[in-house]
Amino acid sequence: MLVLDRLALTWPDFSVLYDLAVPRGALCSLIGPSGGGKTTLLQAVAGFARPVSGSVSFDGVDLTRLPPADRPLTILFQEHNLFPHLTAAQNIGLGLDPRLRLTALQQRQVEEALARVDLAGLGRRRPAELSGGQRQRVAIARAIVRDKPLMLLDEPFTGLDPGLRQDMIALVDTLRRERGLTVLMAIHTPADAATVSELMAFIDEGRVAAVGPPAEVLAMRIPALDRYFRR
Amino acid sequence: MNRLPGIIVLVAVVALVGAALVGLAEAGGSGGSFGRTAYVARLVWMGFVQAGLSALLSVVLGAAIALALARRPAFFGRGVLVTALNVATVLPAIVTVFAVVAVFGRSGWIGDLFRALGLGYGSWIYGLQGILVAHVFFNAPLAARVFLAALSAISPEQWRIAAQLGMPPGAVFRLIDWPVLRREAPGIAALIFLACFTSLAVVLALGGGPGNATLEVAIFEALRFEADFRGAAVLALLQLGICAVIVAPLVFFLGRRPPEAMSTGVFAERPDRASRATRWIDRVVLSVSAALVGAPLAAVAVAGIASLGALRDPAVPRALVASLAIGLPAGLLSALLALALATLGRSLRAKAGRRLADGIGLVAILMLVVSPLALSAGLFVVLRPLVDPFSVALPLIVLVNALVALPFTYRQIEPPLLVAGERYGNLADSLRLRGLARLRIVDWPLLRGPLIVAIAMATALSLGDLGVAAFFGGSRFATLPVLLYERLGAYRLDDAAAVALLLTLLTLVLFVIAQRWSNGGWIARPR
Repeated sequence: MLVLDRLALTWPDFSVLYDLAVPRGALCSLIGPSGGGKTTLLQAVAGFARPVSGSVSFDGVDLTRLPPADRPLTILFQEHNLFPHLTAAQNIGLGLDPRLRLTALQQRQVEEALARVDLAGLGRRRPAELSGGQRQRVAIARAIVRDKPLMLLDEPFTGLDPGLRQDMIALVDTLRRERGLTVLMAIHTPADAATVSELMAFIDEGRVAAVGPPAEVLAMRIPALDRYFRR
Repeated sequence: MNRLPGIIVLVAVVALVGAALVGLAEAGGSGGSFGRTAYVARLVWMGFVQAGLSALLSVVLGAAIALALARRPAFFGRGVLVTALNVATVLPAIVTVFAVVAVFGRSGWIGDLFRALGLGYGSWIYGLQGILVAHVFFNAPLAARVFLAALSAISPEQWRIAAQLGMPPGAVFRLIDWPVLRREAPGIAALIFLACFTSLAVVLALGGGPGNATLEVAIFEALRFEADFRGAAVLALLQLGICAVIVAPLVFFLGRRPPEAMSTGVFAERPDRASRATRWIDRVVLSVSAALVGAPLAAVAVAGIASLGALRDPAVPRALVASLAIGLPAGLLSALLALALATLGRSLRAKAGRRLADGIGLVAILMLVVSPLALSAGLFVVLRPLVDPFSVALPLIVLVNALVALPFTYRQIEPPLLVAGERYGNLADSLRLRGLARLRIVDWPLLRGPLIVAIAMATALSLGDLGVAAFFGGSRFATLPVLLYERLGAYRLDDAAAVALLLTLLTLVLFVIAQRWSNGGWIARPR
């Protein structure tokens, strides 16, 4: 269970306060307007932004004060998930050893992860030689070898073609079922996420304004949601 | 867009440089300066040793400073240190000489300290060591500036990934910083090597005799003391050939646009800040660089203020007027030449393809390898049958200084002009914006800043010029650097201090103007 308990962050012109609970193994999609606080929520869980109060915990372990590297999670950003001067295989290998001194066994793991995301044989390419979708699959392969129970996705499939986007969401869904991952996924096309999500949270003005099964949330008649969907 | 001004400038620049070099080669003179092969070989060898060591030390120290500043985005005094580093990069070479002597010389600050402690302190500043200290003083900050810009362009996502992966500081350096430093190092090293290889004022004043002379110094002496034009021409062509080989990789470096920072605009903390090792390394690097750069700058200020009375000497206001009468028109002319060339380049890029347009940039960069002294002497020789060259000394000095600054002004002006064309060209065409209206509405708002930076930069460069002004002007027409050089040579250090401070303040004003209008693209330095 991932729990955000009155997790508060403040800036001079913006403040947020999150309450959210996601059961272990569930996929929770985060929807809501740009600037509403989806990214901030993910950054706070990942440990890149420091809360002023409240807590975030996973399976009963308090993560609030842990440095990013010690948290049991992997985050994927919208862009720049890879080091541009390293090959795909090296980028994945960093997930096994941040010094990039890989044993033969670890190198085999990298190859397996590449094959798992359908990129077998492309390990020697650099990010610039891969398509946008391929780059994000390399990032997913790194998440696979890191083998952390929690996965955060900050709109990583924005900018991909609709078909490709659904393939990627399906890949994430398959992985989490295989491995029992808990997934938080910010997305700006709610329809894509509805079929695979157990939970959907509507984030607006720095708050979790609504949360529940996707069908229920999408049908709620609250003003902020109506504005978001222009209905 | 009208191409005529650009074509005229292009032809004129190439013709002037060509005529000057040919005229120089055909002019009389004993040729004694090149007659002794062993002497010339030694000049070249010393040039390589001196410039190679200067470039190596500057790049290594610059990288260390840049890393420390990148890891420490906020500490007490950071702003002051960064400003001091920036000022060091633009200080005229002859002022640097004064500053180095004032700190490290026999009767400088360190000498005083040693004597106060009852210790002996010999003069070690004249010779290769002194040349290296002065060259590193303004080139290490230059390298640091280039490296820091590149390190700052690393996207915040990369730091977040590194933090999440738990990368230790050693791995951060090896896997993230090192690739960036390695990418930038060849270009900046070549630029520094080139500047030091053709260095005049520093080697002249601190070289301590013919043993450490460079080709540029030999050209200066052949012209000034022996009137040996033929010898100067041979030395200049030799220097041109060597520099052309070195400048080849630089063409790529200067032609490249500064990388656009790929970022979400959100600041991310580097994960290697907390380690005890990097903290100590950064503390040492920043303290040492603050002392190395701060002490000479402070010496200029302290010594200058202490001898302000020397400014009453009528030679000083005369030199100030001469300097401004050369610097301001030279800066303006250089920017206009660059604008004409860049406009031609842009219109050729659209119509005739990239290669021809890149060739125009090459003409600007060509000026990096032509000795300003040889150019002056060549023009002198060519004009001699037509007019008394000394009667047109002022326009000639302005012209040569404008040409010398061309690589830097062109680099300032070309990128924004191209952006204006690429980004708004189609829009302007679709609205039928042409000619002056297009210049005023589309190009001017984008170009105003870079033009001001270019003019300030070129003016500062010519204000610091020693060789060209000394060749044409002599004592009749002494600029501030010439006056400073003479007073340093006569060991009139108090009089020199006041002039050094005045020259520094002038450069500072230009620097502040450029800083205000630039996005951090100031890469220029007086020879």
